[in-house]
Parts: sequence; structure tokens; C-alpha cells
Amino acid sequence: MLDTPALDFAWKAAADIATDVALGRVSASSVVEATLARIRERDPLLNSFTAVTEHRARLRAEALDATLARGEPLGPLAGVPFAVKNLYDVAGLPTLAGAKINRDLPPASRDATLIERLEAAGAVLIGALNMGEYAYDFTGENEHDGPSRNPHDLDRMTGGSSGGSGAAVAGGLVPLALGSDTNGSIRVPSSLCGLFGLKATYGRLSRARTFPFAASLDHMGPLARSARDLALAYDAMQGPDADDPVSADRPAEPISGLLDRGLDGLRIAVAGGYFKCKTAEALAAVDGVAAALGANRDIEFPQVERARAAAVIITATESTGLHLDRLRTRPNDFSPAVRDRLLAGAMVPASLAIKAQKFRRWYRTQVLKMFSEVDAVIAPATPCTAPLIGQDIIKIGDTTLAVRGNLGLYTQPISFIGLPVVAVPVPLTPLPIAVQIIAAPWREDVAFRIAHALEVKGVAAAPRPPL
Amino acid sequence: MKRKARKKKSARRARPAHLRNAVKAARRSPAPVDHVEALMSAGAAALGIAIDPAWRDGVAFNLRLMLKLAAALEAFPLPDETEPAPVFNA
Repeated sequence: MLDTPALDFAWKAAADIATDVALGRVSASSVVEATLARIRERDPLLNSFTAVTEHRARLRAEALDATLARGEPLGPLAGVPFAVKNLYDVAGLPTLAGAKINRDLPPASRDATLIERLEAAGAVLIGALNMGEYAYDFTGENEHDGPSRNPHDLDRMTGGSSGGSGAAVAGGLVPLALGSDTNGSIRVPSSLCGLFGLKATYGRLSRARTFPFAASLDHMGPLARSARDLALAYDAMQGPDADDPVSADRPAEPISGLLDRGLDGLRIAVAGGYFKCKTAEALAAVDGVAAALGANRDIEFPQVERARAAAVIITATESTGLHLDRLRTRPNDFSPAVRDRLLAGAMVPASLAIKAQKFRRWYRTQVLKMFSEVDAVIAPATPCTAPLIGQDIIKIGDTTLAVRGNLGLYTQPISFIGLPVVAVPVPLTPLPIAVQIIAAPWREDVAFRIAHALEVKGVAAAPRPPL
Repeated sequence: MKRKARKKKSARRARPAHLRNAVKAARRSPAPVDHVEALMSAGAAALGIAIDPAWRDGVAFNLRLMLKLAAALEAFPLPDETEPAPVFNA
């Protein structure tokens, strides 16, 4: 067995690592050791990890190597290191969810379902990742753990709330990470860090044993440096889960084997109106993707501003319901920005929250009609490239907006009704930005085909930062 | 806010307290009531939440924003039969 500790796995695709491990070209243990060394060396710059599960990872890698030595087959993610946003339960660790308060929780007794499924496919958990407090965040900053830093410019935000997930994958620490997306928290860091990110259809990927935020909007999903790696992770994690009450009773529908189908027969439109880009970088990214896809018609989502408003109201009221006791007993232990929004959410009358839920049904009906005309819609993922850490405002066209609330300008109206989206990175200079490929419910395969085609055409790519 | 000490009973006391206060307020021609501040105070009291005076501006800012967004939703007519979607099923 070729087993050179000095082998650099930092920028290797998950698919290639799995092939090499499964064929015995390299041991899972050497992949893990190289990964741990890279994290020790680089994470002080990125601040992406809050816990590194060294001992567990070594044991797991040894077990995989032993399995292969016995001549038994390994899974499709054999030896692939991955890490998870720290709202996923990891057996033996308290589930922080980015919060000071959660440090007092007892250690989780069992892994989240998605961790179990990735490890069943051969992947190796390396640790838990930094995130915005209680996921109520688009910046990747965290008052308690410090900000995760963008590998393309360490003075800039990763985007959030899955900020550590974005930094760890874009910075070459792991090829794969899991995040969560309630209003954009996978797609925003995918955009600012230049990564492929998946927010699957609501109910597709289990949320069991993850710390919630706004239950009717919470999605789990992966971030990776290629559409193929993203698809490998997605395929390994699909399937119903009795431990998640909203998990759909649908069998797994693997898409890894369908990526090369190309664009033939797909009707693709560009989101118009509200989604028309007002910054040069977002415009360049969407125009480039549209040209590569031959998407030359616009389509308008109806009442998008109201959809976003309803998403804000539902997020505020559901998250406050979750945190009400903590707001009574430990208000000083929240960061001010999160506490102020949660307290405000507590005062929103229930009648207005129900109104938002009624609007949600109406909006869903109207948007689903659009998908009788098109198979996919492309839209910007963020209004701009990564702002500086600590930056409070952004200028979007003629308007000055607060950064914290508006990085999710284009993602909120989509996750609001649970549509599947693959965020694809466009490697602009000096900073990347992503475009959303939005498909009809349960048609992740369409979004993946388009993402992969854009990668093959060289339009989408996860740029390698100077690290 | 502390209640003022009770005054002696009189014939006028037969009027309920909230009406007495409303009449007094109308006579004084006060500054417009800040409904958001009032909602915040009443909501905090009803829910048993203490809002530190230093946090009030931040909370009020967010609450005003949420109510503004909710007003935009309210302005959009929906049929009575529209079902809410608290658990979205795609």
C-alpha cells in the first residue's frame, strides 16, 4: 500500500479520496492524519472548528483500514473526512448551536442521523464547526467563538450561519461539511466562500438530533468543492427517518449516476423582478451562468417581497417559541443581536404569524404553477461578495442595507416554501459569488445536472484560495 | 411601572379605571402613544420577560421592522379558506 504521510489531501476531491482508499492506494489512517495536521496548521487562521474529534477519527480510520485488509468492500465515501456545523449532535460533545448557553448541556448520547449515514458510507467525522449563534445569522460571526474567516480573504466574512462549514471546506481542511439552512445558511456561505451547497427539498434530509432554529423552515445539507462530491454526500444521506417528524416518506433517489446527463430537454429561466441583480458581481455571475445554460427568458416569482416578509415573521415567532425560557432565565448569555431579535419576536401577535402561514400556502401554490413552464430557475445567491468582518451595511444599487439581515435577500423567498436549490460558485476575481439553481420540489436531480454541466463548462468552480 | 397610591373613593370612582385614564389622557392632549413601546412593555410583562432598559432600543427596532413586514402581509387579501402551512409539505 502506498502510504505516504506527506501526501497532501487538502485539495483532493472526496470522490478521489474514496476511490484511493477503496483501492488500497492510500490508507484511511493516513488521510485522517494529514487532515488533522492540516487543521492544526491552518485552522488558527480560519477559526472554523470548535471541536476536533481526533481520537474518534483515528479509531474510525483504523476500522476502515481493517475492513479493507479483510477483503471486505468499503462504502462510496471510504475514508473521506468531514465535519459538521456544531448544531449537529456528536456523541460525547454538547451540541453548542453556536451558543454560550448550550455549553452547559450534557454531551449528546448519539450522533445526528446524517452523521450516522455518512459514516455508514465510509466517511470519517473529524469535528464540529463554528456557526452563528442559534443559527440566527447570515454573517458567520460569533461573539462567543469569534468569527469564522473567509479563506479567500481572512478579513472577510464567511457568510452564515454555517460559517465554519464554509471556511473549513473552502480552506481545504475537509472536502465535505454539513450545514443547516433555514433562510439561506448553507447558500450564503457557499456564495461568499465559493462552494457548491445543497438545500434539498424540505423533508428530504433528516434533521433528527440537530438543534432546531425555526422548525417549519429548517433544512440540513452538505457543502463541497464540486457538484460530484456534493452528490455523493447527498446520496449517502437520503431516505426517510422516523426520528424526524417532517422527514418525507420517500425512498432514496440517488443522483450521482445522473450528473452527466447534460442539459438536453431542460427548460431554464432567469428569475426576474425582485431577483434582478443590482451589483456588478451578482449580475456578472447570473449573466455568465444564464449564457452558459442558454437561459434567455425571465420568469417572475409572485409577491416575493411579501414572501420574504412572511419568512421573517415565521422565523421570528418560531425561534422565539423555542427560546422563550432561555430569554426569561439567561437573557444576558445571548449575544445582543440575537437576543434583540428573539425578544422582538416574542411580541409579535400570533394572528400575524398565522397570516404569514396562510400567505405561505398561497405563495407555494403560485410558485408551483411556474414549474409547469420551466424545469429550473436561476437567481443570485447573495447580493454581493463577502463583506468585511464587522461590516454593518452594504450598498445594493442605490440602497444602503444592513448586512446582517440582507445577505439572505435572495435565499429567503426560496427556502420559505422548501424548494430544492444547488448553489453553484462562480469564481470571479477577487472574490467568488454563487448562483442558485432552483428546481421544483423533489427534483434535486435537475438542479444537480445543471450544476455539474456548469462545472464541466468551466463556468462554475470552487476557487482555491491562497492558503 | 408602579401604580399610584389609591385615592379616596368618590362618586366619580364608579367609572372603570381604564375609562378614567383614557378621559384624563384625552384632556391632556398627550404626545402620540408609541404603540410599539406599549406592546413591548405589555408583552414582556405578560410573558414574564425582563427587558433591560439598555436593550429596549434594539428590541423596539426589530419589533417595528417585524410589524412593518406583517403589515405588508396584512395588506394582501387572502380567501378565508386559505389553509396555513405551519408544516410545509412540498
